[in-house]
Amino acid sequence: MKKDIKLNDIIIFAVTLILAVIFAFPIFFNIMSAFKSNGEIMRDAIAFPKGFYLESFKYLLTETKYPEAMLNSTILTVCSIAVMILVIPMAAYAIERNSSKWTNGIFTYFLFGMMIPFQVYMIPLFKQLKMIGLFGTLTGPILVYISGSIGFGVLLFTSFLKGIPREIEESAEIDGCTRTGIFWKIVFPLLGPVTASMVVLQGLGIWNDFLMPMMVLPTGQAKTMIVELFYYVGEFSSRWDMIFAGTTMSLVPVLIAFLALQKYFVKGVSSGAIKG
Amino acid sequence: MNASAKKKKWSDYVFWFILPALVVYTAFVIVPTLSSVYLSFTSWDGISTKINYIGFDNFIEIVKSPRVHNALKNTLIFAIVLVLLENIVALGLAVLMDNVRWFRNFFRSIFYFPVLMSGIIMGFIWMIILNYNFGVINQLLEMTGLGFLKADWLGDPDYALISIILSTVWKAAGYYMVIYLAGLQGIPQELNEAASIDGANRWQQFRHITFPLLAGATTVCIMLSMIGSLKIFDQIAVMTDGGPGFATETLTYIIYKVGFGELRQGFGTALAIVLFLLTLLISLIQMKVLRKREVQM
Repeated sequence: MKKDIKLNDIIIFAVTLILAVIFAFPIFFNIMSAFKSNGEIMRDAIAFPKGFYLESFKYLLTETKYPEAMLNSTILTVCSIAVMILVIPMAAYAIERNSSKWTNGIFTYFLFGMMIPFQVYMIPLFKQLKMIGLFGTLTGPILVYISGSIGFGVLLFTSFLKGIPREIEESAEIDGCTRTGIFWKIVFPLLGPVTASMVVLQGLGIWNDFLMPMMVLPTGQAKTMIVELFYYVGEFSSRWDMIFAGTTMSLVPVLIAFLALQKYFVKGVSSGAIKG
Repeated sequence: MNASAKKKKWSDYVFWFILPALVVYTAFVIVPTLSSVYLSFTSWDGISTKINYIGFDNFIEIVKSPRVHNALKNTLIFAIVLVLLENIVALGLAVLMDNVRWFRNFFRSIFYFPVLMSGIIMGFIWMIILNYNFGVINQLLEMTGLGFLKADWLGDPDYALISIILSTVWKAAGYYMVIYLAGLQGIPQELNEAASIDGANRWQQFRHITFPLLAGATTVCIMLSMIGSLKIFDQIAVMTDGGPGFATETLTYIIYKVGFGELRQGFGTALAIVLFLLTLLISLIQMKVLRKREVQM
C-alpha cells in the first residue's frame, strides 16, 4: 500500500515536471536569447549562448528611445497607482459606511463600469482627450487608467471594509476627530492587504498595457516600453537579439516583484475572481 | 435637531469623499461610452469637424458585411475553443498542484509566470518560436524526424488562429489554475477518503465528488475566460495583425482596424456597441447563473 502511494507520487511529480518545463521554456528562451547575437539566434534557436553577448543591451540603451520609454512606463505606473490609492478607498469608505439611496445608486453606477470593455469607448475617448488638450501628455493616460479602475477598485474596497468594525471610528468621532482624519489615520492603515492586492493587479496591468498608450502618447517621441517593443518588432525585424534584450528588461522587474509579493498576486487573483 | 445636524455633517463628508472618483469616472468612462452610442449613428472619419448622422446604416452594414461576419466567427471560435482549453488545462494543473508532493510553490510560480507577461511580449516570443525558418517548433520537428509536420504556423490561414489560441492558453492557464486550486483546497479531505473506502477509484472520486464541489470555481473561471477571450488584442497585433488576409481578425481587432487604420470611426463605434452588447449579455447570464447557485446552496 505504502509503496503504491510512492509510485503514484513519482508519476505525478514527473508529469508536473514535464509540464513545468514546457511552461517555463518560452520565458527561459526569451532571457537566453537576449544574451545571444542575432546570428546565433538564427543559426540555432535552441542552443545555449556562447558567452555573455551584451551588445544588444548596449545598443538598446544608447541608440534607441528605450531609456525614455522605461521612464515613461515607470511614471505612468507609479503616478496612476498613487492617485488610485488616494481616490478609490475614500469613495469606497463613504459608500460602505453610509447606506442610503444615493450611495447605493452611485455604487451601482460605478459597478456598471466593469462591464464596459475599453474598446467600447476608446474612439470617443481619444477625441475627448484631444479636445481638452490632454492628448500627447502623460496626464491623459494616467486619468484614463484611474477612471478605468474605479468600478473594480470600489467593489474590492467596499467588500473589505464590511469586515472592519465601526466602533473605533465612532469613538474617535466622539473625541472630535474629523472624518478625513479618521479615515486616513484609523481606517486606511487597516486596508493594507487589499491595497497591496490592488497595487499589484493594477500595476501589472498598466506596466503591460499597449493599445491606449500607443494611441494617446505623442508620435515621434518615446512612448512606453511595451509600445516601443511593438514598434521594434516591425522596424528592426532582423534584429531579434535587440528585441529579446528589450523584452527581458521589461519582464525582469515584473518577475522580481512577483517573487517578492507573491502572496498579494495570488490574493489579487482570487479577489479578481469575485469581480466577474 | 441634533440628529439632523449630525446627518448634515455626515453627508457633507460623503459628498467630498466620493466626488473625485465620481468626476473622473463619469468624464473618462461614461461620457465616452455615451458618445460611442451617438457616433455609431454617424459616418464620422475621426478627423473632420463635420459629423453626419446616417441613422442605422452602420448597423445594416454590420449585418451585411462578410468581413464583420468573419470577425464575429473568429471571435466565437476564440470564445469557445479558448474557454474550453484554458479551463481544461487550468483544472488539470490545479489537480496536479493539489497532489504533487515536492516543490509545490516552485511549480505554482512557474505555471503562473506567463500570466505576468504583456500580450505583446508573449506574442513576440511565440512569433519567434513558431517562425517557419528559424523557429523552435519546426527545428524540434526536424530533429525528431517529424519534418513533414513542419508548417508556417502564423503565415498559413489554416493554422494562424489555432496558433494564437494555443499560445494564449499558455499565457492564461496559470491565472485560472490559482482559482481552481483555491476551490480544491476548500474541499474536505474526508469526502474522498470515505468514497475510497466505499471502493471508488480516483477518477470516480474526481468525477462524482471533486468536480461537482468545484462548481463555484468553474462558473467563475468560465465566465472570466469568456470575457477575457472577447478582449484579446495584443497578441493578435504583434503576431499576425489580423492576417493572413482576415484569418485572425476578431471583433476587438476589427474595431481598431476600421477606426484607426481605415479612418471609419463611426463604423468602428457601431462595432464597439456590438461588443458592448455581447459583453453585457455574458455578464447578465453570469449574474443569473451565480445567483441561482447561491439559492441552491
